[in-house]
Amino acid sequence: MSEEGTGATRWLERVETGVIASLVLAMVVLASAQIVLRNFFDSGLSWADPLLRAMVLWAAMLGALAAARDDKHIGIDFVAHFVHGRTRRVLRAISLLFATGIAAAMAWYGVGLVKLDYAGTNAIAGIPGWCIEAIIPIGFALIAVRLAVRAFQPPRSDAPALAPELP
Amino acid sequence: MILLVVLVLIVLAAFGAPLFALIAAVALLGFHSAGQDGVAVAVEFYRLADMPALIAIPLFTLAGFLLAESQAPQRLVRVTNALLGWLPGGLAIVAVLACAMFTAFTGATGVTIVALGAVLYPALLEQKYGEKFSLGLLTASGSLGLILVPSMPLILYGVVAQQFHTTPPVTIDGLFKAGILPCALMVTLLSIYSIWHARRVGVTREPVSGKELRAAFIGATWELPLPFVILGGIYSGKLAASEAAAATALYVLVVTVFIRREIAFAKLPKVAREAMLLVGAILVILGFSLALTNWLIDAEVPEKLFSAIQGSITSKATFLLILNAFLLVFGMLLEGFPAIIILVPLVLPVALHYDVDPVHLGILFLANLQLGIFLPPVGMNLFIASMRFNKPVLTLVRASLPFFLILLGAVLVITYWPALSLFLVR
Repeated sequence: MSEEGTGATRWLERVETGVIASLVLAMVVLASAQIVLRNFFDSGLSWADPLLRAMVLWAAMLGALAAARDDKHIGIDFVAHFVHGRTRRVLRAISLLFATGIAAAMAWYGVGLVKLDYAGTNAIAGIPGWCIEAIIPIGFALIAVRLAVRAFQPPRSDAPALAPELP
Repeated sequence: MILLVVLVLIVLAAFGAPLFALIAAVALLGFHSAGQDGVAVAVEFYRLADMPALIAIPLFTLAGFLLAESQAPQRLVRVTNALLGWLPGGLAIVAVLACAMFTAFTGATGVTIVALGAVLYPALLEQKYGEKFSLGLLTASGSLGLILVPSMPLILYGVVAQQFHTTPPVTIDGLFKAGILPCALMVTLLSIYSIWHARRVGVTREPVSGKELRAAFIGATWELPLPFVILGGIYSGKLAASEAAAATALYVLVVTVFIRREIAFAKLPKVAREAMLLVGAILVILGFSLALTNWLIDAEVPEKLFSAIQGSITSKATFLLILNAFLLVFGMLLEGFPAIIILVPLVLPVALHYDVDPVHLGILFLANLQLGIFLPPVGMNLFIASMRFNKPVLTLVRASLPFFLILLGAVLVITYWPALSLFLVR
C-alpha cells in the first residue's frame, strides 16, 4: 500500500496488519463457537464473552492506529477543499499536531489507568485486567508518534479504498 | 476563558483536526473543571471493552468489506435485475434496492457508491436512462439502507441511547425492526420516480427471461441464504444482534475465501485491516464521547438546553421540524457516524421531554443524517461520487436534487408519522 519508508517501517506495518487480521479472525471464530455451544450443547465458555468485549477495544485501538497511518481519521475537512499549497500544509500540520498532543495526553492517563489496576486481581480468561487496559496507553502512544510524523507529510490520496476501476 | 477554548476548538475542527481529538479535548477539559483527573477519561474510554452490543460492529463490518471485495455486488445486481429488470424503470429500481441492501451491510455509504457504482453506472447509461438521472440516482441511493438491518449506525445509536436508560428501552433488535417500513417507504418513492422517468425518456424494457432468472439464482447460491440468516435469526429472537453478526462474518469468510476463492488468502489481512480501520476511527470517537456524555449528564447540560428552548419551542411538531433542519446540517458536516455519537447525547434527553419515542427518534435521526450525507454544498457523498464518476461536484449537486426532494418528503413522513417506525416494534 505505502511505498515510502525504509525496510524496517514496512516490516512493522506488515506486523501491524497481521496482528489486526489475526485479532479479527479470532473474534469471528470465538463468537461463532459460542453460538454453536450455546444453541446445540446448552453450554458456553464463561470467559468467552468478556474476552470478546475486550477484543473489541483492542480492534478499535489497532484500527485507530491504522487510520492514523492512512489519514482516515474522521474530521470535518471541507476547508481543505478550498485551500491549496502552503496554507493547506500548515493547516494540516496544526490540526495533526493538536491531535498528537491529545493522543500523548491520553497515553499518559492510560498509564495512570493501568497503574490503578496493576495490583488488582480482576482477570478475563486468565488475562489480568491491566494487560487488557495496556492497549490504551500503548495504542495512544503509537498513534501520537504516527500523527506527529504524518503532520509533516503530504496527505494520502483521499480516494476511497476499495475502488475498482470503472470500465 | 471558556469562550476562547471553544473558539480554538471550533477553528481546529474547521481546519480538519480529527474529531476524536476534539471530543477528547472537551472531555478532558470538562472532567478537569469538575475537579477530576484525566485518568477518569481513560476509565470511561475503557468502557468500550464492556459493551456487549459493540461486538456486532467489527463482525458485520468485516462481513461487509469481504462482500464488497468479492464479486457479490455483481451477483446481487444480476439477481435483482433478473427479478425486476422487466419492469419499466427496472434497472433503476434494481440500483435502489441493491444500494440499500449493500449499505445496510457495510454501513459505509461511500463504499456503496464506489463498489456498486462501477457495475450500475455503465449499465444505466447503456439502457439510456441519461447521465444526469443515473448520477443522481447512484449518489442518492448510496446512503439508502442506513436504517436497514444490520446497519452499523443503528447499532451505534442503540449503544449511545442505552446510556440513558429510557422508558421504553431502546434495544438493538427493536431498532432493526423499526427501520424496515421507513426504508421501504424511501425505496418505494424512489422506484415510483424511476418508473416515471423511464416512461418519459423511453427506456427500452428487457424481456422476462426464465433462463436468465435461473442462471442468476444459481450464480448467487451462496449469497442468497444471507439475508434469511440475518433477518430470520434476529426476528425470530433466536439470535441476538451480536450472534447474527458472528454467524454472518463466519459464513461470508468461508464463502468468499474458501469456497468461491474470490479473495486470496494472502489478501485477507488487507481487507481485515481496511474494515478495522473504519471500526477504529468510529470507536475511538465513541470512547471519548462516552466520557463526554457522562460529563454532560453530570453538568445537566441537556436539562439546561431544554429549559433554554422550552420557552420558544412549545409543541412537539415545532421541535421535530427544528430537529429536522438541525440534523440535516450536522449530518452534512459530520458524515453520519460522528453525528450520531456526538448529537444523540444532547438531543435524546431533550426529545424525551417533548414526548418523542426513543426508537422513533433513532429512525428519524438516521433518516435525516442519510439526507445530510449528500446535502450540498459539502455532503461527503457528493465528493465521493464526484471522484468516482469523474464529474464536477456541481454536476452531482444538480443531478441529485430531485432525489433529494423525494427523500426529504419521505423523511418528513417518517418524522411526523411515528407509527410507521413503531408499528413492527410495539
